[in-house]
Amino acid sequence: MNIQTRQQADCLIVALQGRLDTTQSEAAERQVNEALASAPAKLIFDCSQMDYISSSGLRIFLIAHKKMTASSGSLRICCLQPSIREIFDMSGFSMIFSMFETLDDALAG
Amino acid sequence: METPEHTHSLQLSNQIDELSRLAETIDQLQVQWQLPVSLVMPLNLALEEAFTNVVNYAYDDDKQHLIELEFSLSGDTLTVSIRDDGRAWDPTQKEDPDVSLPAGDRPIGGLGIFLIKKLMDKVHYQRIENKNQLTLTKHISQ
Repeated sequence: MNIQTRQQADCLIVALQGRLDTTQSEAAERQVNEALASAPAKLIFDCSQMDYISSSGLRIFLIAHKKMTASSGSLRICCLQPSIREIFDMSGFSMIFSMFETLDDALAG
Repeated sequence: METPEHTHSLQLSNQIDELSRLAETIDQLQVQWQLPVSLVMPLNLALEEAFTNVVNYAYDDDKQHLIELEFSLSGDTLTVSIRDDGRAWDPTQKEDPDVSLPAGDRPIGGLGIFLIKKLMDKVHYQRIENKNQLTLTKHISQ
């Protein structure tokens, strides 16, 4: 798992790349928390390169959602691969998160 | 019961790092057994959840334990059994989380077993000779 963050306009984009499984989730959670520590007003998870997720990875999204809600920020998710989108649907996460097909849509949305 | 056309055994120690060997095995079986590529992710996910539950909750000591996986393919039915020598625990009895709750009311975690049940067609638990055996069955549609 590789995590890249970048600022674009008023938005912090966190790109998750690779496998978000139980072996990776602790390090990934730490990096996401570091990104959240700056209390961004807008955060987008770009998942275009994320090709696997398990419940330990889903947990990170839920924690981020709770933190962003607590700081009155907005959180969006874009570019989920279809197989991962299915897992989000099953878990009820598709109803919790604002999800977008493309990064441009998420930036504009 | 008809004889499976293919079988494969995998022994993993009770270390989370072993997940990489599990993923490699699933990739290999996908090729060797000509399984649909679309099966790799859900199978990997269901087995990861089952395996990590055993590693995290089954043992009361710090010793090394072996977790045995048996894959078999018979016609269009793929079966994987996971055996461990941990304390008796039937994950199929765990109550499903309410996935319709808003984010603020959602507990962090508790999705693993639910996902196994959603992704597989059948999940069956047995306690056999002081071992837990969880058997996952998936009917393959090409």
